Amino acid sequence: MKPLFQFFSSLKLTVVLLSFSLLLIFFGTLDQVQYGIWHTQELYFESFLVVWAFPEHAPLGQHLDWIRIPMPGGYLLGGMLLINLLAAHFTRFKLSWAKCGIFLIHFGLILLLISELMTDILAVESQMPVDEGGSSNYSQGFRENELVFIDRSHSEHDSVHTIPASLLKPGKRIDVPNTPLSIRTVRYHANAEIGRATSGSPTESIATRGVAVRMGIIVNPKPETYSEDEINTVSAFVEVFKGEASLGTWLVCNVMDERFPPQMVNAGDRSFEIALRFTRHYYPFEIELIDFKHEKYPGTEVPFNFSSEVKLTHQDSTKNQKALIYMNHPLRYEGLTFFQASFANQDKTSIFQVVRNPGWLLPYLSVLLMGLGMCAQFGRHFFKFLGKQRG
Amino acid sequence: MRQTAHIIKFIHSALVPERRLQVCCLSVFCLLGFVACEQAEPTSYLIPKEDRSLTMPAPVADSAKEKASAPLDGSMRILPGMQAAADEAGGLSYTVPEGWEDLPASGIRKANLKVSDENGTAELTVLVFPGDVGGRLANINRWRGQVGLDNAPSEDLPKFTEGYAISQHPGLYVRLEGGAQSILGGLLPFHGSTWFFKFLGNSSTVLSNEAKMKAFLDSVQLEDSHH
Repeated sequence: MKPLFQFFSSLKLTVVLLSFSLLLIFFGTLDQVQYGIWHTQELYFESFLVVWAFPEHAPLGQHLDWIRIPMPGGYLLGGMLLINLLAAHFTRFKLSWAKCGIFLIHFGLILLLISELMTDILAVESQMPVDEGGSSNYSQGFRENELVFIDRSHSEHDSVHTIPASLLKPGKRIDVPNTPLSIRTVRYHANAEIGRATSGSPTESIATRGVAVRMGIIVNPKPETYSEDEINTVSAFVEVFKGEASLGTWLVCNVMDERFPPQMVNAGDRSFEIALRFTRHYYPFEIELIDFKHEKYPGTEVPFNFSSEVKLTHQDSTKNQKALIYMNHPLRYEGLTFFQASFANQDKTSIFQVVRNPGWLLPYLSVLLMGLGMCAQFGRHFFKFLGKQRG
Repeated sequence: MRQTAHIIKFIHSALVPERRLQVCCLSVFCLLGFVACEQAEPTSYLIPKEDRSLTMPAPVADSAKEKASAPLDGSMRILPGMQAAADEAGGLSYTVPEGWEDLPASGIRKANLKVSDENGTAELTVLVFPGDVGGRLANINRWRGQVGLDNAPSEDLPKFTEGYAISQHPGLYVRLEGGAQSILGGLLPFHGSTWFFKFLGNSSTVLSNEAKMKAFLDSVQLEDSHH
């Protein structure tokens, strides 16, 4: 046990882990060119192991594309650093006034590592586009999708039954929660081109019901895109069952939005609208966009400021309020942060980035602790030095 | 009593430095294991009644600038394959009414005209989409939404639509008088596609140009490779 304890608490391990962290950031930055920021983040920092491959499009890519470099991922490095730091404390450091600066710095660092993990687990990011004069009570993810069954038969509300698209694995049977239905994914494409069958193209489709049959829509799979200014057209052929009886196979796709006729699944006395869409997050309040302003630097198209004047109408009317959201001045409301992210539709639509991150204060706290720790540590040395000088 | 003694003994043993490290390692690995296994689950929830015909703008992935495929006319988004369908649909010819400005066609717009007067401006766009794009009523209600009118049931259609021949084919003329903005439009199902002629803008400008809009529709000739 003792050698293991020594291994985990050794300073050499810290140096090795920090060196690997440097490598991880270096190769992650290289791969960001082809994978974009989100995918790189998943590959390098939200993983235990990552293998870097020499990019084909790089100089000498054709000759060197066999090069593979495995390295520990962010979770492994972060976890090991955390254990290393804790182990070092248990073995080497004894709590005393003389060491309080070091303790504060280390405690801040531990808090920073934990807050990063919390952000990764708990934070949810989505977008909320609102038209001027319009309002919205939900935001939608721009990478995650969901298969939904919506029952609109009630006069007061709609009931939504969702299955995250990450669960749509071909062949897998999943029950649709609180409905008599279940689904089996026949085919799933993370990105595809959706078009109408033309005379020259193959018209084979496995859909037996819905829009794909009526409008002759076909799906051509294409590689997933990681670009930040493109979306993946996710599509799936889904067979719906009531009990053991198949009701048919529908084509669902995240670009078949409200302009398409709703696709209905009739299950005896209840009928459901079936759709694949960007994951939605509904809120107990509505945001109305009163005015959107987009100012540019004179004589250029470079944006100087975007601002959105909004009115929030909550189900609990005591929480109603007005706010102005602009660059670097987000609105914090009901545990959410609304950032002015973008605009569209000839400046008539404002797009907010909506972030739910319960641990958003922790990084500030950890930086504060580390700052205090450094002041205490260096301050103590400084005054000691001054004392010696006087003496 | 014995249980309490056991718990105290356990806590004591957990505070031994080596044991403390074991506890920490175990906690960190459990936490990381939890992260690795984290997966979304199917759920159900209720939402306030939604108006199915309302259209939301599409999410824009790019956070810094408008994309080339960002919504062009408030609610239409270019779907993959739509551009190809628009290209495939063939061209059209028309006469530009006097005082109107013929802007270059772009993206999926087949034609783009603009008129301005002392009251404001209005823009005519010509688009073509495959299929019936949700049907006549859904499209007209989408237009009604754009000028601030409520959805209309199908039996009310004759109040603001009339049959109208466009390029010698039976189409529909739509007159939607809104508050600040109005739409005069033409809808034409044409060999499996639907052509949309939408004249949208300031109400006074749009309505005072109604004769010119009709003259424009009369002048439209679609390229017809099917005959």
